[in-house]
Amino acid sequence: MRDVYIVGTGEHPWGKFTDRNFVQVGEVAVAEALKDSGARWSEIQAIMSGILIYGGNAGHLSGQYIEGMFGETGIPVVNVYNACATGSAALRMAYNSIASGETDTAMAVGVDMMPKGFLTAKSDDPKQDRDVLRWRMTGMPNPVYWALECRKRFEKYGDTPEDLADIKVLLSQFGAKNPNARYKKEYTREEVLNSKMVCDPLRLYEICAVSDGAAVVILSADPKKIQAANKPVKIAATTMGSAMYGDPTIRISALSAPAKAEAPMLSESYSASRQAYEKSGIGPEDVDVLELPDNSSWHYLQYLETCGFCGEGEAHKMLREGQTQMGGKVVVNPSGGFSSFGEAIGAQAIWQVVEAADQLRGRAGERQVPDCKVAMAQTYGLMGNSGTTILTV
Amino acid sequence: MEVMDTMEGKIPRLPELFSWTDEGVRIRSAKCHDCGTYFFPEYHAQHRPDCPRENVEKVLLSNKGKLNTYTIQHFMCPPPFKTDGDIAPYGLGLVEFPEGICVAGLIVETDLDALSLGQEMETIDYVMYKDEDGNDVATWAFRAVK
Repeated sequence: MRDVYIVGTGEHPWGKFTDRNFVQVGEVAVAEALKDSGARWSEIQAIMSGILIYGGNAGHLSGQYIEGMFGETGIPVVNVYNACATGSAALRMAYNSIASGETDTAMAVGVDMMPKGFLTAKSDDPKQDRDVLRWRMTGMPNPVYWALECRKRFEKYGDTPEDLADIKVLLSQFGAKNPNARYKKEYTREEVLNSKMVCDPLRLYEICAVSDGAAVVILSADPKKIQAANKPVKIAATTMGSAMYGDPTIRISALSAPAKAEAPMLSESYSASRQAYEKSGIGPEDVDVLELPDNSSWHYLQYLETCGFCGEGEAHKMLREGQTQMGGKVVVNPSGGFSSFGEAIGAQAIWQVVEAADQLRGRAGERQVPDCKVAMAQTYGLMGNSGTTILTV
Repeated sequence: MEVMDTMEGKIPRLPELFSWTDEGVRIRSAKCHDCGTYFFPEYHAQHRPDCPRENVEKVLLSNKGKLNTYTIQHFMCPPPFKTDGDIAPYGLGLVEFPEGICVAGLIVETDLDALSLGQEMETIDYVMYKDEDGNDVATWAFRAVK
């Protein structure tokens, strides 16, 4: 396997775009990535594309639609879905294609246009799709799952409502300075604590919205492309994990979980991150910037522990001591996180990598983490999907 | 033990998830005698790796368990969830059964503010709405044992 570099990245700003289709949103990110890399479209030898599950046939063939816009070249175009870790899968395939020598330059694309409001079941067959059960029998939107786990943390470790609110405050301060963010208002602890209770103990501002957006990375092992790139970033590892038997987490769409833990919580993310640490020889202690999946304030705390940035039950301590802020042990989500962007299923994992790469390339403006050498992007997808990417300069 | 699929005009919204018995409402599960895992629903098997998967038996979980965790949902869940009227705020929780499996469900007929982890809960039915034929359409739910 040979070294693979990010030679170009692109983003479409995130928001709700009712006047555009996904190809138009994706086009902006692809064009930006091409320009950034200096590569011509016809030099891209493979496209790995995250699909849009709410986009019908076109959404499931997102890569072909985007290829068509820029010009069809006959290369492999593969479309993939792994819930909110979809982009991790696309990136990993592009990486493996290059690392194995199949191609020299490949693109990972993620674009999504999300429906408004809740993401309910997409089929009617409970025997086949257990998502149907939770929507018909128990009335459990996604945040309920996070609240159930969050309650346990409160009881076990002493996390407080103020901790959850402070996470939103921190993320909003970063989001306010990120030109591509959807939400740019800075919040105070009081404002967050006064926002509506959604599912106790999670409040409205402590849960991410759903957005439209796109992100693209161009990867290469071609020495000329790497040399021509404006600050190439090395992919030290990009991995995926699935859940492990005996994981006690109540996983989204499931209505049961084992009572006795025989695997770590969020075992898919535990697995992906440990694979990445092993492959790269880099550990949490080396990471300067961590982009973690802050679908809610609970995730922020839990992921610090799941990925080994502190011991079990210690995340609130890191938070309270400022260890996740500028100047702390690891700067968490200097992008502003999903809290400031919202999630766009097919795009968010690649977006996290683009934001992490921006820090390594010194492009983060007022949010720039000084002397950033190692960045990590961690994803979380329902039904046991996760990806970890570690980047270095 | 007598096991019934309907009860006095009440029918389940979806079949094979719970039963009425003369020993209370019981969650339907399946146990794999090879790997020891209990499944819910009974038709969604999740075996231990390398299990031969040959000896799976349908079982009913105990009627009582302990509250593993809970939340109070302050907004009505959108369709296809359906109840006669807006029931928010409503309780949702995980109950840990002695068999070694936690099952999620609505928490009803309980003072939600008084809930505490570890307390004893029992499985009951909960009528969500009346259908066109006049049946009371029900789901399983939990309440605190008084």
